[in-house]
Order: sequence, then C-alpha cells, then structure tokens
Amino acid sequence: MIIASWISGWRRVAQALGMAAGVHALSFLLALPLATLVGDRIAAQLGSSVEAGAVADGVNNDWWSEFTAQATGLSTTFTPSIIGFASTLDTLSRVLDARYPPAALMALLGAYLALWTFLSGGLLDRYARQRPIRAHGFFSAAGRLFFRLARLTAIAGLLYWLLFAYVHPWLFAEALKDVTRTVGVERTTFFWRLFFYAIFGIALITINVAVDYARIRLVVEDRRSALGALRAAVRFLWHHPLHVIGLYALNGATFVLLLALWSVAAPGVYGPGMMMWLVFAAGQLYLFARLALKLHFLASQTALFQAHLAHARYSAAPVQAWPESPAAELIAR
Amino acid sequence: MRRPILLPILIGVVLIAVDGRLGGQQLAPAAARGGVQAFDEPLPDALSPRNASYDITVRLDPVRKTLQGRETIRWRNISSATTNELQFHLYWNGWRNDDSTWLREERLRTTPGRPRAARRPDETGTSDVTSIKVTPAGGPAADLTSAIRYLAPDDGNAADRTVMAVTLPAAVGAGGSVQIDIEWTGRIPFAASRTGWIGDYYFLGQWFPKIGVLEDTGWNTHQFHAATEFYADFGVYDVQMTVPGAYKVGATGREMRRTDNPDGTTTHSYHADDVIDFGWTTSPSFIEERRAFNHPKLPSVEMRLLLRPEHQGQETRQFAAAAAALEYYGQWFGAYPYDNLTIVDPAYQSNSDGMEYPTIFTGRANWLSPAQAATPDSTVTHEAGHQWWYAVVATNEFENGWMDEGFNTWAVARVLEETRRSNLLAVRTFGGLIPYTLDVPLSREVDGDRMSAYRPDAKADAETTPTFRYWPRSANAITYSKTALWMHTLERQLGWPTMQRVMATYYERWKFRHPRPQDFFAVVNEVSKQDMTWFFDQVVRSSNAFDYAVQELRNEPAGPGRTRVIVAVQRLGEAIFPVDVVTTFADGQQATEHWDGKDRRAVYTYERPARATLVQVDPGEVLLLDVNRTNNSRTTQPRAGEAARKWSLAWMVWLQELMITSGFFA
Repeated sequence: MIIASWISGWRRVAQALGMAAGVHALSFLLALPLATLVGDRIAAQLGSSVEAGAVADGVNNDWWSEFTAQATGLSTTFTPSIIGFASTLDTLSRVLDARYPPAALMALLGAYLALWTFLSGGLLDRYARQRPIRAHGFFSAAGRLFFRLARLTAIAGLLYWLLFAYVHPWLFAEALKDVTRTVGVERTTFFWRLFFYAIFGIALITINVAVDYARIRLVVEDRRSALGALRAAVRFLWHHPLHVIGLYALNGATFVLLLALWSVAAPGVYGPGMMMWLVFAAGQLYLFARLALKLHFLASQTALFQAHLAHARYSAAPVQAWPESPAAELIAR
Repeated sequence: MRRPILLPILIGVVLIAVDGRLGGQQLAPAAARGGVQAFDEPLPDALSPRNASYDITVRLDPVRKTLQGRETIRWRNISSATTNELQFHLYWNGWRNDDSTWLREERLRTTPGRPRAARRPDETGTSDVTSIKVTPAGGPAADLTSAIRYLAPDDGNAADRTVMAVTLPAAVGAGGSVQIDIEWTGRIPFAASRTGWIGDYYFLGQWFPKIGVLEDTGWNTHQFHAATEFYADFGVYDVQMTVPGAYKVGATGREMRRTDNPDGTTTHSYHADDVIDFGWTTSPSFIEERRAFNHPKLPSVEMRLLLRPEHQGQETRQFAAAAAALEYYGQWFGAYPYDNLTIVDPAYQSNSDGMEYPTIFTGRANWLSPAQAATPDSTVTHEAGHQWWYAVVATNEFENGWMDEGFNTWAVARVLEETRRSNLLAVRTFGGLIPYTLDVPLSREVDGDRMSAYRPDAKADAETTPTFRYWPRSANAITYSKTALWMHTLERQLGWPTMQRVMATYYERWKFRHPRPQDFFAVVNEVSKQDMTWFFDQVVRSSNAFDYAVQELRNEPAGPGRTRVIVAVQRLGEAIFPVDVVTTFADGQQATEHWDGKDRRAVYTYERPARATLVQVDPGEVLLLDVNRTNNSRTTQPRAGEAARKWSLAWMVWLQELMITSGFFA
C-alpha cells in the first residue's frame, strides 16, 4: 500500500508535469523582480570600481563584508549563506530553529503561501482525478475550493503559530537550555538538540500531515467545512497510522536523498558568463526537483487516501465531467 | 619679580603630588602622566622586579563549589610614592550581586529590548577575605581584618566589592616592603565569563586576592569591568592546589610536586617565576598530551595540552597553532622567556574559552571543526600570543586594552598569513552545531584584523579613552579591530622590516614591565627614525573614520591625438592620512600622485596621448582603516553589471528555495 501510493504519487506528478512546471514558474516569477532589485543594489554599490572585477570573477569576502555593512532592507539578506548548499542548510535551519524570514521578505512569502493555497485546490483536484483537466478545469477547481482551503490554511496557520510561538521557545529556549545547561560536552549537547528537533519535528509533521489529509478530504470529498475536514483527517490518521507514517517516512527519505545529491552537486563559487548560466540552470533544476517532491507528497497522500476509501471507485479514475467534484462524478455514474 | 609667580605654582605641584601619593585613589589618566616610567625596572638577578610574590595554599571543594585559601604576599614598593594603605582585587565579587559594576556593564553589552535571563543562584561568585594580617619589615604583625573596606575608584558604585583596601598602621615608603597574610573563601561561579565551573570542569582565573599596582602617582587598582581585567605586578608564585585525586591540574608555571593525601585528594604544587598572575584548571576528563617545541634559533619549550575527550584528533592542530605563535612571535619580537606552555581545551559552554594567563591559556574548539576553517587554530595562536602582549609586556589592560588585545590581533593575523594554511569561511547552522565550509577565502586584512567588526563602530571611542570606559557594546571593535587595522596600516606605512624592528625593540625594552602608550609611540619614532605623532593623533587620539574616494574620472579631447584627463579624489571621512592617487592610461602608463589627504578634495589634470582607464586612491591598500574600499577606484570598463547579474542569480536561487521551504506550511 505504501509503495503503491508512493509509485502512484510519482505517476500522478509525471502525468501532470505541466503543473510542476507551473509552480516552478510561479516561484521564478515571484523571485525575479526582487533578484533584479538586489542586483541593482549590488551594481550601485560596486559602481565603476575595480572591485567589481573580483566580485564578478569569483568571490571577494572583503567587498562582501563592506556591502553587508552598508546594506538595508532586502540587501541585508545577501550574505554568504546564499552560496551553494549553504543556502539549503540555512533555509532548513531557519525552520527548525524558528528563525523568522527577514522582514523585507515577509510580504513576498505571505503572497507565496496565499498563491499556494489557491493552487492547491487545482493541484489536488488534478491528482485525485488522474486525468487531464486543462487550464480551465484547474483554475475552476482552484477558484471553487479556494475559500474553504483558505479557511483550512488559516486554521493550520494558527496551529503552526502556536507551535512556533509557544512550543518552540519552550522546547529550545527553556527545556533544552535546562537540560544542557551544565553539559560541558558539545557532542552531548548536539544529541540533545537532535532529540529536541525530533520532538518538535514530530509535532510539526503531525500538524502538517493532518492538514495535508484535511486538504485532500476537502477536495476529494468536496467538503465545505475546513474544521470538519480536519476532524476527518485526524480520524483517517487514527485509523491508518502505519500507512500514513510509512508513506510520509518514504517521502521524507526521498527528500533526504535529494538533499544528499544536492549537497554533492551544489556549485560553490564560480565565474561569470556561461558558467554562471550553467550554475543557475543547475539551481533551477534542483528547485524543480524540490517542487516536484512537494507535489509528490500531495499526490502520494491523495493516492493513499483514495486507496483506503470504503467505496472502491473513489480510487478509480473517473470519467471527465467537469466541473463536478470527483465525488459528484462518481455519484452521477 | 619671579618669586610671587613661582611660589603658588610650586605649592600647587607639591599639593597635587602629595594628594596623588597619599590619597591613593586619585588617578591621573595614563596619557596625562607623561614620561617613561622607571619604577618597574627588573631586579638585577631576575627577569622582572618580583615585587609582588605569592605563596598560596588552596583547596577545591567540588561539591560545594568553593575554594578555601590562604596566601602570603611579599610586596615591595617599587614606586617613588609612599602609601598608607594597600589595595586588592577581589574579582569574583563581580558576580556577588546584580548591581556589581561588571554586571551593570555586561547588561549594557546586550541589545536593548533583549533582556538577559535572570541570574540563577549558582551563577553567584564571591570572594570573602576572612583574615588579613600585615607584617612590615622588622615589625610586628597587625590584624587588619576589621579595617577592611571596599573602594569603587572607577564609578563610585557602592554595591561593587571588587576592590578591597586596608589602611596600614604605618606608611610604606619607596623601597619599603610588607608581608601580607590573607585567608579567604571563594564561591566558584557557574560558567561565568572567563572563570567558573561546568560539569566536572573548572577554570579558575581572578580567583585569589591580588594586590593592585602602586605607581608613582598612587594605586592603580581598577574595579572588575566587563571588557577589561588585568593589571598586576610581577612576582614569584608558589601555589599548592588540593583537588580530588582523580582530577588533573594545569596551571601557570611548572608542577614541582604532587602529593596524595589520606582523604583521597591530591595536592599539586606549582612554581612560576616572573609572572603577573596565576590561573589554573582542573578536571578529571582531561586527556594530557605533551610535545616539545624545538627551533634552531629559539629556546625549547615543553608544550602541554589538556584536551577534552570529544576533541581527540585535534591534538596536532592545537599544538601546531601554539607552536606557530612560539615560532613566529619568537623570531619577530623576541623569544618566549619561559620553558613551558599549557594549552587548555575548555569545556563547551564554560565561557572560559579564549582566555590567557601566564604560561597557560584556553583555546576554543568545536566538536565538528572543518579542516579548512580557522577554529581552533586562530584562537589557540591568539591566546598563545598573549604571552608576549599581556604576560611579558604587561600593559595596563584596564586603561590601554588595545596594547595587548589589539597588538595581539594584528600579530596573530600575520602569523596565520605566514603559515599559509587554508582559511575558508565556515557558516554554522542548526544552533551553531553544524558547520559548512564555503569556498570563500578569508583575508588577513579584513578577517584577521576584523574589519567587519570595526566598520560599524569606527567612531565609537578614541583609544585615549581608558578602555574600561569604552561603550560596552563596541569596546571590542575598538580594542581589537581598530588597533589591529592601524597596526597593519603602520606596518604597511613603515614596511615590515622596520615594523618588525619596532616591535622587537618594544618587546626587549618593555618585557617584564608596564609600558604605557607613550612608551610605545616613543619606540616607533625612535626605530623608524620618523615622527609618527601625526599617525597616532589620527588613529589613537581620535575617533574619526577614514574614507577616501574617487569623485571623478573624465577624459576630454585636447587636440589631435591628445586627451585631457581630469581626476578628482575626495576625503569623505574626518580622519586624515596621506594616500597615493594612481591613474592608469590606456597605453599602460601610470601617473602617481602623493596626496597628503588633508583637503577635502584634490584634482589632478593630465594631457596624454592615451585616455585614462583607471584611477585608484591608495591602490596599495596601505590605509586599512578606510571604511569604504569600493569607492577608492573608478574604471572606464566597469564590470559591476556582470558581478551584479551573477550574484543576483545566486540570491534568486536562495530566495526561491526559501519560498519553497516556506511552502511546507501551505
């Protein structure tokens, strides 16, 4: 069941690669104007100086330190942590260490999450139906499901906020500090920290999985109540814990594998010209893989849910009958 | 006619002198004292004056976290002043209550709006003298315990008990001596700054009642401050430390005896000559390693490493880093004068990392230390380097902290450059536990001299301000970074051979003594055969920032085959330094102007057969204190667009990844 769902998830993602390309394009288009702005600030700071040559040909930490000292707003995020795999470690560490994104990016990230909420209706609808629904079908589903998914996102946001605002500080600023306060061995502190990451991670993933299945139930069953969908999702987790956990673990392992590959392949410092574009392309390929993997989480969980439904035909590919829900299509037949 | 004018002046001078000698607390600023001090000339048969020697017996109670101690101080007045009191440091009282000067200043070091967690009971440190008896030469002992009082010469803080004084039954004049017998108990603070305990690890600094320094102008005994802590006279130390039998001990000097006691404890007896202080450490967990430092031109030194088990495998790195200091400092400045050196690998979270005491110091290591990153090497070399600038050339760190920390930061950066080891930027994530090394080489100029720390606080304080009065949050930027940068600038201005002679002369002349800033300036002027007063006026006596820039580079037609080149350069900062202005022409020719840098602007005009393609202010980067290096040049073939494109694309990938990771929550 777990492997089948995992494979089915990849099949569903592969059948709708355009959607993966679309969400990738979304991140690209959102990032592009800000990257242009940062580029303008770098260019303005460098001016007509000879320093620019060293900055273009490789890396110049002396200049970087000067730029950072003068940076304001968005430019403050331009630090050496953006280079290669350090970028990945930095962003993951931000989540687990509850380091909030830079203020200059909060609006962008908020917009990104809102767009994801909108798109997730169309994405899940497509993965549940397992057949082409075309752009109008996709956006119609996204629009139709948006407000109920938005309500669910708001509930999820509240849960995440409680987790990060209260549980994380309690775990790391108090409990971990208390446990390790008199520990004079860094390695021991490291393993304690890993243990606390695991506790926090379990809480984080529990919410994440519950919200994911709530989304799936909202879409597949055409539910309107976000709270009802969340309750139903919890019931589903309660009744199928091994399959849910097993699939999530397999997906998590796939994510770790991707990170391991990227840690080897991620380019460090490079020159301008063709190399610059090759490195950029490699970065985009990695980001595409990350997004595809994120979509695979949704698709494989949808497959698992559909496989577990009492009504067998829930899991079958329904006949195209836009704009009805998958459930409505099924009943109509 | 002269007598009526001279008499009041003479009376005034005498009154000021008497007030300074007898009051004992009225200190003139170091810079105002003037002249080269002579009171700390070494004894004929010793390296140092040896005027403050200690016999100490101390017992560690690891259960109650206390020290029980008894000491005999043999103190000789080597100043020209007569004193009717004695002053002592009791620095563990810096953690006695929340209103101590140390804690007040430490609170100011934190960013406003981020209150520090309340101190826990085990963070309290105390030093209580239970008995003090003074025996003058040939006289009877006097019990002065009931006469103990506390002074706060720096800030008048009545809650501060870090300076203790007793009035003597009879004044001690120049050359006079007394014996002081003290009994005290100390409560060891938990992982306090630079001393304390964590787990089974103890690092004990500032742990015994230590007599202040009597100068010609009176006592120089500062309170314990958050950013400064050392000033003491040289002496001979015989210290017996009793600890649980399984504990290993490292300390200033050399172990002479080890006695196992019937109660399961062991007494370690250490002896050190010509040192200004005594620090020690003890833990049952230490792994002990020894290696010899041998060099054809330098005396051999026995190096001892007390290593934490989790850092096994880093022995070679730590020994090599200490040996680098012994080798390069030894060759450049003068040989290390002791025959042993103990490197302590401190416990994690002990807050005692990067701490120097004579012949013993703590490094700083991480469990995961990438081979190409600077930790632990730079810290070990830095603290080993303090044996020269602090332990032997014993400046007054309270007033002139830059003379040890700044000089040492400059010298360490030079050593690391000389050793040519790979030094890459490592970012640490996940609570600082996971390092990741980037292909970003760190430079001596910016990273070794700590330019990035200096730049935002360039105008924070002038170095003539006594160090303990620096603004706490920017104190290190001035003490360490600014000094390292101007020392490196001075090195480039004078050239390394001259600079090396300057520092070697300074070391030779002032080893085992207490030099002041003017003593260093005098050596620079003497050895360089230049009057560098203008330089020290800018970098030491001023808090101004340096910033030179190219304002304009213009090529205009000036007849057939000729181009008129107009170059304008600017001084944007308030500080002044002579700089070269070099213009490069398309035919490869160069024109160099030596600008004194005083005016706000200088304009140079050339008529040449070729256009100018590049103009640079200070292209040799002599002035390392220039806070904005990028504006020092202008080229007609700028590559800013290329650079911006490349790095904005890298930043874009980072931003997309941040967005995608944030997508976890949607």
